[in-house]
Amino acid sequence: MPARTRPIEKFAEATAKCTLEGAAYGKCIASNYQNVSKDMCAKEFMMLKDCYLRASGKIR
Amino acid sequence: MRLPLTKLSKNAAATVRCSINPSISHVRRSYAIQAGGAPIAEVFNQGTKWLHKERAAADVSTSRQVDYLRDEVAFRLCERLLDINRSFPNALDFGANACNIARALTRPDPDIDSMKPVKDPIGHRIGQLTCTDTSETLLYRDADLPFNNDIQITRQVLQNPEYLPYAPETFDLVLSSQSLHWINDLPSVLTQINTCLKPDAPFIAAMSGGDTLFELRGSLQLAEQERLGGIGTHTSPLADVRDVGNLLSRAGFKLLTVDVDDIIVDYPHIFALMADLQAMGEGNAALRRDATGIRRDVLLATESIYREMYGVEQEDGTVVIPATFRTIYMIGWKEGGNTPQPLQRGTGEANLTDVLGGGGRIG
Repeated sequence: MPARTRPIEKFAEATAKCTLEGAAYGKCIASNYQNVSKDMCAKEFMMLKDCYLRASGKIR
Repeated sequence: MRLPLTKLSKNAAATVRCSINPSISHVRRSYAIQAGGAPIAEVFNQGTKWLHKERAAADVSTSRQVDYLRDEVAFRLCERLLDINRSFPNALDFGANACNIARALTRPDPDIDSMKPVKDPIGHRIGQLTCTDTSETLLYRDADLPFNNDIQITRQVLQNPEYLPYAPETFDLVLSSQSLHWINDLPSVLTQINTCLKPDAPFIAAMSGGDTLFELRGSLQLAEQERLGGIGTHTSPLADVRDVGNLLSRAGFKLLTVDVDDIIVDYPHIFALMADLQAMGEGNAALRRDATGIRRDVLLATESIYREMYGVEQEDGTVVIPATFRTIYMIGWKEGGNTPQPLQRGTGEANLTDVLGGGGRIG
């Protein structure tokens, strides 16, 4: 019997498909990392999250 | 009924006299331990840590796969024994995990690059090694591997990770690798180690400290700050290099040596890093941690921030994320016997200015 796929592995797999959006969000934070405030990069994050949800098959 | 004080003390004295019996004078006792200074705050939940280790060790093959860090640190720690020209009839490994030190001690050819190559495993100089840990499953995980035949090991499960149940002046050497960073009351444990060492015997230890996992810590904080607007503790607090020297001298150790060593491990993504930490049993066990764990949103944000800020591009174009493990190595000697002492002030015969050639002049 193949081992059960752990949720974190599925999560990692889906995230790996969103490197472009991830990089955009990362750059947004890194450009001002000494002064981070809530929702500073909300737009970039929502794009990343959209991509993740699509990649994980949670939305189409 | 309340007795007058004088009568009470007389009674007490009488009881003591009655109970003195030469046949039970060998009852094992150890000194009462008091750490100097303010009471120590409880930082780690020892029950949680025990559970982490038990669970991690229950999955034997995964647990062995992630031994790379502990084995490497244990090897580096044991190499320090090559500098001490002695044999140790009775040694203690405090916080042994899966007896990684015993495995390192039995490795042949410990030092092939040196000017004076040593062919024998260092373990030949150790008579009896007592390995202790709180987690029975982890401690006995490798009990039937071949290295156990090359060294005389006694495994002992500790009930309390911060109490050493040994008589004073028992051991010729105390080793500890990658477990002191989970101790709440380090001053007390170091004092107990000092007590159970024989005079002029060394204590050699390695612990995670300082900037260990600073990339993960920083990325998590940035992600939580941006997503949630506040930060929580997801990585345990660690001792700093500067503290260790202080702690050792406070516990009564002499001739201290403290140094640090960074081991950087590359991972494909932070989930691999986190899964490995969990499999090592090294998850966060801070007492005041958020029991619900990290939210998915935050994890997603952390991965992107970590990759952007610390990621390293490989030759084939893939980006790996490095994780720094900073290990603090410490050596301290129990005072007594022939331990070299510093000379009295003013007894120096050579002038430092002559030795340093004027270049070292201060002021």
